[in-house]
Amino acid sequence: MNILIFKTNIRLKKDVGVVKSYLSADESIIQWNVDRDDTDKILRVVSTSNDPIEIIKTINEAGYHCEELPD
Amino acid sequence: MRTRDENKVRIIREAALKMMVKEGLDGFSMHKLAKAANISPATIYIYFKDKEDLVAQISRDAATKMMDITFKNFDPSMSFSEGLRVQWVNRAKYCMKYPDQMHFLEQLRHSPYGEKLSEMMGETFKKIFGDFISNAIKKKELVKVPVEVYWSIAFAPLYNLVKFHMAGKSLGGRKFILSDKIMRETFELVLKALKP
Repeated sequence: MNILIFKTNIRLKKDVGVVKSYLSADESIIQWNVDRDDTDKILRVVSTSNDPIEIIKTINEAGYHCEELPD
Repeated sequence: MRTRDENKVRIIREAALKMMVKEGLDGFSMHKLAKAANISPATIYIYFKDKEDLVAQISRDAATKMMDITFKNFDPSMSFSEGLRVQWVNRAKYCMKYPDQMHFLEQLRHSPYGEKLSEMMGETFKKIFGDFISNAIKKKELVKVPVEVYWSIAFAPLYNLVKFHMAGKSLGGRKFILSDKIMRETFELVLKALKP
């Protein structure tokens, strides 16, 4: 199990809804959440995959900015 | 799987607690915490889903510690004077040893984050001390008064002395240290007041 952390611009509840429809198609994702209270609108993904690129691509496709935050 | 670094978790929790006490729960953010603790936000988010999760984990820990200390060596079937004495010792110890945690729980009680936890703690306290109080009334060791009156007489004097002690001064800036002797004297007066 891997935990991947991203900085995004998923600001509003409806944005989370949009992202949801995209992320739910990814079967390697076990759990995810967006901390909309944070300035960086953190996307946290628990996944069986350790590849941030796939998730960045997915979020970009949904129409949002996404970059991995280093430890 | 990333290995869990317990030391980091501890550092994050301790820094978060300090910050919440200082700035309040509303003023606290994961971002500010990262800066203050000199840890990257990503690291914090690895261990905690969001602010709510962090507050929940810290609250659970703080509540458990508080109850462990408060109920140590205490039994609701004790005589009233012995039970109350144990309570005084435990509560004074907790306040002096963990002032940050005490303030944090106090804040939590008045925030939406803490409603559930406070309720749960309230239930536990009510159960244990409810038995203690009704036993004492039955045995005619305690006067029957509303619980607010009982609490104010039984514990407010102690908490006030602890407050003086932690400030290092009392009325008009007078130097103050809470000695065993002062505590004993006050305790005897409290017992006298609560006797039927």
